Amino acid sequence: MTKLTYFPGCSAHGTSEEFDHTLKLVMKTLNVELEEIPDWNCCGATSAHVMTENLALSLPLRNLVLAEKLENNTMGIACASCYSRMKSTKKYMDEHPDKAKELTSSVIDEGEYTGKVEIKSMLQFCYEEVGVEKIKSLVKKSLSGLKVACYYGCLLTRPKGVTQFDSPEYPMSMDRIMEALGATAVDFDYKTECCGASFSISRTEVVHLLTGKILEMAKEAGADLIVVACPLCQSNLDMRQPDIEKHLGKKIGIPVMYFTQLMALAFGYPEKELKLSKHIVPVEEALSNIGKVVETPQQPTKTKKAVPSAESEAK
Amino acid sequence: MIRLGYLEKNTFLEAVNKKSGANVLNCYQCGKCVSTCPVSSYMDYPPRVIMQMIKLGMKEEALKANSMWFCLTCSACSGRCPREIDIPAVMEAIRHIAIEENYVNKTKKVKEIRTFHNIFLDMVKRYGRNYELRMMAEFNIRTRNLFKDMHLAPKALLKGKITIGHEHVKRGKAIRKMYAMADKLEKSQKG
Ligand code: SF4
Ligand code: SF4
Repeated sequence: MTKLTYFPGCSAHGTSEEFDHTLKLVMKTLNVELEEIPDWNCCGATSAHVMTENLALSLPLRNLVLAEKLENNTMGIACASCYSRMKSTKKYMDEHPDKAKELTSSVIDEGEYTGKVEIKSMLQFCYEEVGVEKIKSLVKKSLSGLKVACYYGCLLTRPKGVTQFDSPEYPMSMDRIMEALGATAVDFDYKTECCGASFSISRTEVVHLLTGKILEMAKEAGADLIVVACPLCQSNLDMRQPDIEKHLGKKIGIPVMYFTQLMALAFGYPEKELKLSKHIVPVEEALSNIGKVVETPQQPTKTKKAVPSAESEAK
Repeated sequence: MIRLGYLEKNTFLEAVNKKSGANVLNCYQCGKCVSTCPVSSYMDYPPRVIMQMIKLGMKEEALKANSMWFCLTCSACSGRCPREIDIPAVMEAIRHIAIEENYVNKTKKVKEIRTFHNIFLDMVKRYGRNYELRMMAEFNIRTRNLFKDMHLAPKALLKGKITIGHEHVKRGKAIRKMYAMADKLEKSQKG
């Protein structure tokens, strides 16, 4: 059994309990034991770096120091925002050891920082450490018939210098994992557009605009559902969807699931383990496509749809 | 109008470069960042213009703008910048300078953004963790908009999306010390 240090992030026990739960199921199947950082604190996303310098570095650094007390070489992080904060702090500390010393000696009361623990997002861990072949070999129930749009958001692959993972413009790791489960990953131009998560509470109109485009594009690409790897993306795309529909004046109705929910389903866990009742936009209808024959391609319907609407606008 | 060649010493540019680790002088005004930025339409000046203002030493104008408060740190622009400038780091640098030197953008939108961030940081100071429902509620109280998002709450509560109770960090003392010491350090660096 491999052991992995785990940083769940603040949403894991609230808004994204279904992510945390299915991640643990998936890891069980993959024979990976998750060891939570004892007494971890909020990494400060999305506010600390906006307002402060030293606090923005200290909050993640305390977690990095605590993580070093466990024996494992790698830490897996569930939330993309936490991942970004923790990994950019690690990069900064590794490049500025004096700063690390200054902070651990005067600000953080938990011991020294050496930089020995690697950081990966859980998506990255599944793709790089476990691998698509192994995932494929563990599938008990193929998801064939299901068309998914993989949404990565901004922070899982950007900035490249920090994440060192996949393409910042058109990543494919989640698409490959979904294909390994038997699902069809559609071409999705908005896969790395920002959903505006940091304005979720303070500037909701920005979220409506940005997230609205992502939802519409996924629908247009012919997806039955959107797959995500971040709790903030999920709650923006799912919980705010009814408001966005009102704002756009049309129904979208596209469910938003975590990649781990679909992995758990394909690994043979019963549907009740996915905690589907947590979703605001119901997922049952989308999942009923599993086992159906997929009609490809979606591209022609896209252009056909676009032409009459342009004409009607011109009128 | 200030022109680049006429400026003897552009201290604003120097301060921004030092804080951000970027070299703003490298910007050749192509505008790729503007077309990439998802929120440029909300900004008083889009990233390209901010870059030029810094190059020209237009400190007042840049620090009073709302641009850096709208930046989402999504790094879409910097990934495409042909001069490889870390634009979000530049935005962050001018935001921090604006806070340190008390440049206040008085528009409601920026005020609300700052209020949210302060609530967030207060919450983490108290509990070591953040907690969405409480943040929403507190934001509504402080911005006197009690019913914003409240239509979401019953459904979210019902579905267990948000919970009433929440967890604390056990060593809360360590967190409070961190806040105090980080603040002290910030002040000593400034002075
Ligand atoms: S993309 Fe880079 S070089 Fe072009 S205007 Fe923006 S900051 Fe300047
Ligand atoms: S990092 Fe900021 S300036 Fe750059 S594209 Fe994103 S929101 Fe715009």
